[in-house]
Amino acid sequence: MEHANAHEHQDQLINAIKCNNAIALKELYVSNYPKIEALVLKNNGSTDDAKDIYQEAFIALWNNVKNDAFTPTNESALDGYLYTIAKNKWMDIVRSKQFKKTQTLTPERMAFLKKEENNDFNEIENKKLNKAMEAFKNLGQPCKQLLTTFYFDKKSLRDIAIELSLDEASVRNKKYRCMEKLRNQVLDIKTPNSER
Amino acid sequence: MKDNSNISQELFEAIERYINGTMEASELKDFNDYLKIDSEFKTQVEDYKTIFQGIEEQSLKEQLNTFHAEISKPETKNPKFKKVHYLFFSKIAAAAAIIIAMGSIWFFSGSPNQKIYANYFKPDPGLATTMSSTDNFEFYDAMVHYKHKNYDLSIKKWSILSQKNPSNDTLNYFLGVAHMANKNMDKAIPYLEKTTKNTNPEFPFLKDAYYYLGLAYIKEGNINLAKKYLTLSDTDVAKTIISKLPN
Repeated sequence: MEHANAHEHQDQLINAIKCNNAIALKELYVSNYPKIEALVLKNNGSTDDAKDIYQEAFIALWNNVKNDAFTPTNESALDGYLYTIAKNKWMDIVRSKQFKKTQTLTPERMAFLKKEENNDFNEIENKKLNKAMEAFKNLGQPCKQLLTTFYFDKKSLRDIAIELSLDEASVRNKKYRCMEKLRNQVLDIKTPNSER
Repeated sequence: MKDNSNISQELFEAIERYINGTMEASELKDFNDYLKIDSEFKTQVEDYKTIFQGIEEQSLKEQLNTFHAEISKPETKNPKFKKVHYLFFSKIAAAAAIIIAMGSIWFFSGSPNQKIYANYFKPDPGLATTMSSTDNFEFYDAMVHYKHKNYDLSIKKWSILSQKNPSNDTLNYFLGVAHMANKNMDKAIPYLEKTTKNTNPEFPFLKDAYYYLGLAYIKEGNINLAKKYLTLSDTDVAKTIISKLPN
């Protein structure tokens, strides 16, 4: 990659991630995994640990990119950021057992602790999100497919309608009914007065 | 999260516009006013926000798992078994007879040649997949699968493109090589021949296409055609191979 284009390339990648472009996500995911696996394996983890930590980090990166909480500053910024998140997450697991009190406060660590505070603050929000994810995971296939195509793959109603050989209005109505179904399931999971 | 009251399709779509930020100014003003007055409605909107995020995040999570499956086992090839489901038994029997017949021809005629093939066949490394080529999304998407040795999937995707654009040299070339990598010479050869016939002299893969065609014919046991195409390929490796073939 030419140096002059490097920054532009990162911007393109950022935009592609925001659109959930499958090629971009896959390239980013596949190309960065080996480094993180090596890190985790070297630090007493298994390949399963590596996968879990990496996916958590990847989703965190994706969220931050989507919310504009991260802006790339050089051509390998995204890779570096992903690595740092995964490393922090893993190091935290490793250290939680032994070294928690004697850690030095590196800038990375500071950033991490700051995030942890936010996490407490967002605890209830997270519970809701998990509930929504769980409900969506278990939603019936036709609805799940339709909602994924529209909200994740970001296909237009028109294209979806063509694929399903339906007219646009029926797809819109279908989408609405699927959302209601999902919403009811999300709301039903929680009984009125338990905060769990 | 609150209450079960129904929300009409119209209202749902308004909420969706609000969350996506695609509301027009006048509607947005009314909507905001409404949010201020009605706290229950505000909660409902927040619930929708969470649900939208949940859909996206769960979809991503599931997609990551499919990405991951391809990291851990890049070579998943059971295409023949899948296809068998669609065939009738008699066809299987006929196919088996042909395979046995061809197998015995190979067995008696060309086992040294099979060694040559095995020594020299390496799939083309493929093209760089850059983000900028969004106009060729499908082609490069398949290329990513090809590079991960997921030949069935890349063949499937390229075949769809090839139906639209049957004379695309690059497409035919990679389809041919992918079929070879899948050990499917019958399908590889027509694509490679098409590549070499339609092509203009500028085509960057012309020599490679002749080379792979030559190898495919070695595998098929047709030494004369193999020599012809290897000669046309005119590379050092091709000359070395020719010198090793029986006269």
